[in-house]
This record gives sequence, structure tokens and C-alpha cells, in this order.
Amino acid sequence: MERYFENMLSAEELAQVHYIPTIPEFVTWIEQKWHDLPALSDTVNRCTYAEMCDAIARKRALLNNLGLAKGDKVAIIDNTTVEAVEMFLAVTSAGYVAINLPAQLPAPAIVGCCMKFGVKVLAAGPMFIDAVKEAPCKVIAIGDMAEKGAPVAVVSKDEPAAIFFTGGTTGAPKGAVLPHRAIMRGALNGVYAPGKQLGCHRYATVLPLSHVFGLICGTMSALYKGAEWVAAANVKDTISKFPMIKPTYLVAVPGICEILMGLIKMYGVGFLGGNLKYIIAGAACVPPKLIAEFDKMGIQLFEGYGMTEGGNLTSGNIDVKERPTSVGQIYPGQEVKVVDGELWFRGDNLFLGYYGEPEKTAEALTPDGWLKTGDLVRFDEDGYMYIVGRIKNLIILSNGENVSPESIEEPFYKCNKLRDCLVKEDELDGNKVIAIEILPRMEEFANTPWEEVEAYFKKIVDEVNATLPTTHRIVKVTVRKEDFKRTGTMKVSRN
Amino acid sequence: MTRQEILDSLKDVLTLIRPSLDLSTVNEDSNLTSDIGLDSLTTLLLSLAIENKFNFKFEGMVKFNTVGEVIDHIIDKMK
Repeated sequence: MERYFENMLSAEELAQVHYIPTIPEFVTWIEQKWHDLPALSDTVNRCTYAEMCDAIARKRALLNNLGLAKGDKVAIIDNTTVEAVEMFLAVTSAGYVAINLPAQLPAPAIVGCCMKFGVKVLAAGPMFIDAVKEAPCKVIAIGDMAEKGAPVAVVSKDEPAAIFFTGGTTGAPKGAVLPHRAIMRGALNGVYAPGKQLGCHRYATVLPLSHVFGLICGTMSALYKGAEWVAAANVKDTISKFPMIKPTYLVAVPGICEILMGLIKMYGVGFLGGNLKYIIAGAACVPPKLIAEFDKMGIQLFEGYGMTEGGNLTSGNIDVKERPTSVGQIYPGQEVKVVDGELWFRGDNLFLGYYGEPEKTAEALTPDGWLKTGDLVRFDEDGYMYIVGRIKNLIILSNGENVSPESIEEPFYKCNKLRDCLVKEDELDGNKVIAIEILPRMEEFANTPWEEVEAYFKKIVDEVNATLPTTHRIVKVTVRKEDFKRTGTMKVSRN
Repeated sequence: MTRQEILDSLKDVLTLIRPSLDLSTVNEDSNLTSDIGLDSLTTLLLSLAIENKFNFKFEGMVKFNTVGEVIDHIIDKMK
């Protein structure tokens, strides 16, 4: 559908925004465009766009004074904070490459990431700085800045701007390198939504900046629009402060939407603050029932589809009432085609490759620059896209995280009383959860009551869960008496 | 409030979050993940509901393993 997204904006608003291909140019533009409007808030303190850009310039000067060269990596570890947004924009507008590390990473993993990516500087929030002192690079406090600001760097749109972690198309976590053009295309595409958009919205930020959806759609698009970006110390506190923040716009994963619906059912719709008009949900499938429930409350929940390798947004659907199972129309700036049922795309939004992994990059990208998404899709006669399956063996959780089942199964095979196991996606009270089925070596349990066999493996699951990030924990456990369905090579069949 | 009263209040909240949960199986030793079936998102919902019900704020994100640990924390906060 021609200009589906652009036509959502009024002619007057459409004339005000255009594709800005690099982050340095973007920072300069938002400073001039939205100068006196409120930009960032931690719910206690608030700064204007001019003040934010001054802090960004002073952080740029601090980084320049550390003797970094263009393209050097600067990692950022913090919660979703004002300082983390400013540091990301400082790093990328100074010509360096930002790596927003997930806040739940344990300290040894942070150190490991710094080594893997050759990080030169690690900017750490106050809750993290003591734990990362051993990092093999210069460690600075995220709030540090120089007395005077430094100008933005000159970069080309194809230069790398940031590295994001992703499960990617084949499972193990990888670093997807996004150039400036991809982040900025995603940011502009996130501006398109029905109704007045520019200079009037307040975003409550509930997604991490380490996720493309939180960084690009939840933050960069907000700044493109001249919106106010608000986040408390963590997602729990941000949600609990909704009555005070009074957000008008929310970028969320379906799991967060479910939580909000749960809170509405407990405490009434007033819990959301009374001003919320739009929720953009993505990174996992959105249940149509949820769309209908929010609609009854006058809140429009739009669904989108995208992936880290494609700068976040590939398609979006505002016609959710008419086509509740579609992920919508293709965003501008891309070419798409369907090859043997699989979606391929290329365009401004495409990543450069997986950091230090040319073979995996070659598996995902064709020589003529198409990204093989691994998602099986179909289009209807009006150009709306539907996801019909996945080639890759990934579990997409309702919080948007991609989990490789093999990576969770691996520690279980250390148990010599287990013959095989299978980690898969399951449902519990309508929520997607991670489940495991375990097949015991029954010879190890001769004359053992079945309850004890189950209790034995439940304890093993608890032990493994304790080593996993909270988002990857196994919620449902089944101990099997019968063998799994197996493939020709006697592997456990996943289908 | 006694531990039993807090447990009963928690059960009221849990039944809203996990409607299919058999409340008669829930005790202080119940593991929040593998017995009650809470993942990171439903744990977040539980913590928000507890904050509202017991009128205090958890510091940071909640990381408890068992129902008993949640009760310990609530008692500590109510002192």
C-alpha cells in the first residue's frame, strides 16, 4: 500500500521530518528542532533537548580526551537511565561504536564481552561500576563529562554505530553491527503512527536500551518526535509510577502489555495514568485478545515485526481490528521478497554483519545483500504480511528475547541419570513460557517411586534455573515415561 | 500480620496472576519458578501487586526463589 506509513502523519507534520542518515546529524537536528521541549526525565529531574545535547557534547569531549580513535568500541552498562541515553548518543555522535550491555549480565560476562569486542572504554552506571573494575579497558562513570563540549564527528551513513546482542538466525548470541543508516531508518520509521505525533508525546520507557526495540523505537524515535522520554530506576518502578508519569505512548513487548492488563484488572485502568493512547508492541507475537482488551479501554495497540539485523522495524500494523493476526505493511526504505516461503529483505535498515563472525554473517546475508530472516511469511492481496512459521530453532519469549533451546538443554546433559531432554516453548495461563521435557535413564531409578524420580529432576531444574538469567528460566517441567519421537539419526525430534 | 496471613494474601494475588494454580499446593517451600510457574514477567507483576497490597517498595528488581523468601522480605519491610 503506497505511502501507508507516511500518510499516517498530517501533511504539516510530514513536511517537518525527513530521513537523517547519521546519528551526529540527528543530534544536531534535534537540538535545533526541539530546543526548549522536555527531552529526558528520571521522574525526579527533567532536562530539555538543549540541556540534553549540551550533556552529550560534554560527554563527547570526555571520550575524545581519552585518546580514542574513530570506530573504537565503547561499552555502556547501566539500567535504562537518562545518563545511558546521553552516553549512547555521545559515543555514536563522536564517531565511536556503542555497545549497550544488558543490565542483567553478571560481572564476569561483562568483562568477557569487553575482551570479545575489543572494548576500549566501559561507561558504567553507579550500580555497576564497582563490579566491573577488573574490565580490561578504561572504566569511566556514566555520569562523567568534560567542562566544555566537543562538536559532533563527521561519519558516513555506512560506518558502524552500535553493536547489539542477538540470538540471530542460528542460536548462539552474536553481536550484530548496525551502521548509522540502519539505526536512523528504524528511528524514522518509528515516528509514523496515527494522530498528532510531533512535540506532544510522553514515552514511559519500559524496555532496555540493550535491545533494538528499546533503543531505536523506544528512544531514538521518541527523540525524533520531540517527545519526552521518561524512565525510573528500573522497569518495575517505571510501571508503578505510571499514575504520576501519565504516559501517552508506550513501546513494549507483549509480556509487558500482559502485565499492564493484569494491573488494570486488579486496580482499574487509572493505574496507567489516564493519558495512554498508543502502545507499539513487537519483538514477539501479540495475542489478538490483548489488542481487543486494550481497544475497549480506548488504547490502540499496534503490532510490529522486525529483527536486530534489520534495525528493529521491518513491518507494522495499525489495522489491527481488521487484520489482528497480521504484522502489517513493510516500512519504507526496504525491498522485500519471499524465497521458498522465507522473508528476505535489504535496504537502509540492514546490518553490516555479526562482529568477528564472517561465516555466520555469510549464512545470514546473500552476496547481493539480502538478509535471510529465517521467518516463513505470506502476504495477503493488500500487502499485509503474516508470519506463518520459523525456520530457525529459536524460542521467542513474550519479553521479546530470543532463546536457543540447545543452550538451555546443554547443562542438563551433565546429569548422568538423564537420557535426553527437550526445551521448548509452552503456554501457562495464556503466557508463553519455557518448558522442559526430561527422559530419565530408567535403569538409574530401579525400584524408585515415580514421585521421587520427578522430585529428583525438579531439583536439577531448580539448580540449572539458579544459573540462568531470570528471563531464560524453565517454568514448566515434565518427566517423561515414554521415549521422545526421534529423527532418523535417533536425535530427539523438535517437531 | 502473621506468616500465615501473609501467605494467604499472597495466594490471593497468585490466583489472579496464575488462574490455573492449585492454591492448596502452595506453601512456603514452593519454588516461584518451577512450582508456581512464574517467569520474569509474571514475577514483575507479582512484585508490583505485592508493593500495592503491602504498601512498600522493593529496592530494585525482585529476585526470590521461594514463597518463604518473599514472606521473609515482606515481614522485614513491615517492621
